[in-house]
Amino acid sequence: MSFQSDSKGSPGDFFDLLERSGYRWQARIDPAQTQKDFAVTQGTTVLAFHFEGGVIVAGDRRATAGNSIMYEHCDKVIPIDDYSLMAIAGVPATAFEMARILTHNFEFFRRSQMQSMSGEGKIRALSRLLKENVSMAVQGLGGVSPIFATYDLRARKPSIHFYDMLGADFQIRTHTATGSGSPTIRGILEHEDLWGEKPLAQRPESSAVTLAIRLLQTAAQFDSATGKARPEDKIFPTIAIITEAGYRFMNDQELADICKTSLQR
Amino acid sequence: MFEEPYRWMEAVSTRHSYVQEKLKLGQPVLSVPFDEGVLVMGFSPQPGKVFEIYDRIALGGVGHPADVERLRMTLLEMAHLEGFNRSAQDVTLARLLQFGIAPALKQNFEEIQRAPYIIRLLLAELDHDCNPTFFRINYDGHWETFKSGTVIAGNEKVMDWIQQEIQNLPFATFTLDKALEEVCRLWVESKKQQEEEKDFPQTLKEAFDQWVLEGAVLLGKVERRAIYRALTKEEIEKLKSSVG
Repeated sequence: MSFQSDSKGSPGDFFDLLERSGYRWQARIDPAQTQKDFAVTQGTTVLAFHFEGGVIVAGDRRATAGNSIMYEHCDKVIPIDDYSLMAIAGVPATAFEMARILTHNFEFFRRSQMQSMSGEGKIRALSRLLKENVSMAVQGLGGVSPIFATYDLRARKPSIHFYDMLGADFQIRTHTATGSGSPTIRGILEHEDLWGEKPLAQRPESSAVTLAIRLLQTAAQFDSATGKARPEDKIFPTIAIITEAGYRFMNDQELADICKTSLQR
Repeated sequence: MFEEPYRWMEAVSTRHSYVQEKLKLGQPVLSVPFDEGVLVMGFSPQPGKVFEIYDRIALGGVGHPADVERLRMTLLEMAHLEGFNRSAQDVTLARLLQFGIAPALKQNFEEIQRAPYIIRLLLAELDHDCNPTFFRINYDGHWETFKSGTVIAGNEKVMDWIQQEIQNLPFATFTLDKALEEVCRLWVESKKQQEEEKDFPQTLKEAFDQWVLEGAVLLGKVERRAIYRALTKEEIEKLKSSVG
């Protein structure tokens, strides 16, 4: 072991540190392997929208391989730091790796620079990882299409960002959804926002949570790769809220109570 | 010049004297357990004594700020790489010290052509069962473990006196407020142990007026992964009014 080498990279950048330690982000592009028509594997439904007190991020729990259901307890909404969550659609191995790098990146920056990374810096960090991953995405091996939600401590407001596979980020003012079940619910979200009892951003937390659970249940009705809530087996969707106090995941008991009322017809 | 063993030993001995002389005015950093976790604190003319290293690890430093900073970054890098490559649960202070900075510090100190690190570090860790452990590491790589709290200071007489006092008090049963009051009391009383620093604050009032109180806690009962937090302004104001 030797003492820290002088970094020529950006101070506090964990990705630079990883690369200096020998880590390599997956293989570079192999033109022979590039698929002309590629589609991102997205057996999932994750969504996020603004509500009165912050943003809500939700996802189903099913993981599939082709037509097979492999797992019903998958966590697709991943905490990145105290104020940020990433909801993943796409290849899980790549998405989980990105989440792990981001977690360490934000914490390493905060501890080494003795200040939190700005909201814009966090958003850019995920863009950079997606850009690094382009070769895997176009080879059809590792495409990821995430949603990133954070509370910006400097601007004092929450924000939601949707990314394409090349790393472009789009700030979402109202709502977004991604994954194979998302086409079903995007229309409902838009309808609810424009013609529902109130715009989504003005709804209280309880109403936002109820809507999120119902949307995931609807997506599961039409998309076999999206798992339904099954309270009898203690399988609930993941629901998390981000406010100025940071993120909070709803626990199983809360979700059981909400499912009991919100899924009743 | 150093081909003879005696010359080398003499050079090492001179380095000890040199570093100890440079460290002499370093102000104490104390770390003690309390009923909900671990407290680390110290007074200094400017911030730069207490830091967060990883989820459950805090650092206190005395010495040259550039050397403290270099070792802080080394610890940060080691901890984060280990946490990424394996797990946060594999990041422990004992491993960071025993297999990380202690051998490197010793090697650096004994390579007499290189500038020695002018530092003394204190490290505190609260494990997942809320058991605290305290470590002290010297500029030459020598490190010690403590169960009931520890202290670092530039002056060894002061350091030994505070260490003895820490061991005589039941800090683990104290609330945070009480622990803060007691460490402040020890800080003031330690001033009587040294003569050299008459120009520095001698009372808590002077310390609060002229210097900065840096403090942080590792809290056992929080749901977040990272359990380190700096003392709040309110906690420091409350302390000021109770000891002032």
